[in-house]
Amino acid sequence: MHFVSSRLGTSFLVWLVVGIALALPAGLWILQVNMDEMSAGWEGRPGLSIYFATDASPEDVELAVAALEGESLVDAVEVTTAEAALDEFKAYSGLGDALNLLEDNPLPTSLTARFTGNVSTEDLDALIQRAETLGGIAEVIVEKTWLERLHDLSLVVSRLGTVLAVLFGVGAVLVTASSVRLAIEGRLDELRVLKMVGATQGQIRRPFLYFGAIYGFGGGVIAAMLIAVTLVVIEPPLKSLLGSYSQELNLAGFDPIFLVAILGIGSLLGVVGAMIAVRQRLNHLEIV
Amino acid sequence: MGHIEFQHVTRRFENGHEALSDVSVAFDEGTMTFLTGHSGAGKSTFLKLLLAADIPTRGRVLVNGVNISAMTPSRLPRYRQHLGVVFQDHHLLAQRTVFDNVAMPLRVTGMREREVARRARASLSQVELLDKENLFPRHLSTGEQQRVGIARAVVTRPKILLADEPTGNLDPDLSINIMDLFARFNQIGTTVIVASHDVHLIESMGLRILHLELGRVVEDIPATVTPQPIAQAPEDQLAGASS
Repeated sequence: MHFVSSRLGTSFLVWLVVGIALALPAGLWILQVNMDEMSAGWEGRPGLSIYFATDASPEDVELAVAALEGESLVDAVEVTTAEAALDEFKAYSGLGDALNLLEDNPLPTSLTARFTGNVSTEDLDALIQRAETLGGIAEVIVEKTWLERLHDLSLVVSRLGTVLAVLFGVGAVLVTASSVRLAIEGRLDELRVLKMVGATQGQIRRPFLYFGAIYGFGGGVIAAMLIAVTLVVIEPPLKSLLGSYSQELNLAGFDPIFLVAILGIGSLLGVVGAMIAVRQRLNHLEIV
Repeated sequence: MGHIEFQHVTRRFENGHEALSDVSVAFDEGTMTFLTGHSGAGKSTFLKLLLAADIPTRGRVLVNGVNISAMTPSRLPRYRQHLGVVFQDHHLLAQRTVFDNVAMPLRVTGMREREVARRARASLSQVELLDKENLFPRHLSTGEQQRVGIARAVVTRPKILLADEPTGNLDPDLSINIMDLFARFNQIGTTVIVASHDVHLIESMGLRILHLELGRVVEDIPATVTPQPIAQAPEDQLAGASS
């Protein structure tokens, strides 16, 4: 501890570097966890929208409604007639007068099906295929593509996080190793004397392994702080973004287990770095 | 532990220089011997081999029948805990007090702090530096620093005491004092080997002299005086002596 406290400036820099190295992959992990949470939350919620051809008959619509209501996945079916759609469009588009000039209603009848619970991608595909075989249907639209994008994005983030974790983990180990090596160089005289008077390898190495653990643990603390600050900074815009999808912000991952893990991983990387430095420098230390 | 034997020991460095060449010599337990010779004669290499800080290219170094050159790294610390070593430039730690420097060999053995303090102070008393235990080495004269080095070397009551040019930086009076200290430790059973080129001082003591030249023992002069063992030595006054 004396070595750390007597070089507080340098030690803080080491903590900062290790902290940043840990914060990036850890932050990506939190991002990926939250994306998975969000996609899991949305998985059962996409609405299935069916747009009929403009020349579809009321019987076609009734048959489609009956067919969808017969599906076990479907909870409720809501029909929007072409007239209702036009009225709605007039109301929010502000183009009422222009639309009144049209001879025919250009909008089709549509229906929206709401699902009972979680719907897997496979079930959704099968349902779409069945819906497309119904008569008078022009287009079937689901939010599946949105989910797939989110899922793919989550995979990208996950793999990027893994790669960064390895790269920055190695970086943290090397930074700790060079700092511990510096500590060893500063105490070579003492170490030579210790070896001369019969100190064991363990006695000589142990303080430096503690250095490594302290550097790694401090890096973990810095990483946790950086992530916490980042979450605070991105919270308002994220809340706004999720609000537009009728979602509530409920960040997952940044919990006591995460904190213990990041401190533990930091300490472990620090000890590994220290072991490398000790092995390099102390194994062949000459007494005199 | 105290009987030392070199059997056909050669130490050749990578550049081809032979610091020791086929040296065979024995030291009985409780004896005191001087190694003499010019710079480069092999005195320091001789002591390094005994300290197991170096290993011979050929031959064996036996201490009480154990080949220390073949010792595993895990056994070396235990062996070194039974040695006392004094260097010309002391190797004292500038950031530590006199007391802490002397206490260091005891602390590595895991001894309780109370016993460490008792023995370290006894050892400092033996070299007449007890009143300076809280000072740092830079506050001491060269002779005093050397005496601290000796106190550290003998604080564990080693069976073997090695000294490499211990009087090299000292004036004649101080040199005599230091040699007297070594003689006193020898008189209580410690095997003492002192490397020195101070021929006049060595010859005046009448002890065994091994003269090295170019890595070979060219002269082995036996002792002309018999060491007088100190009887009933109070333990605290002989903290550095063999128990």
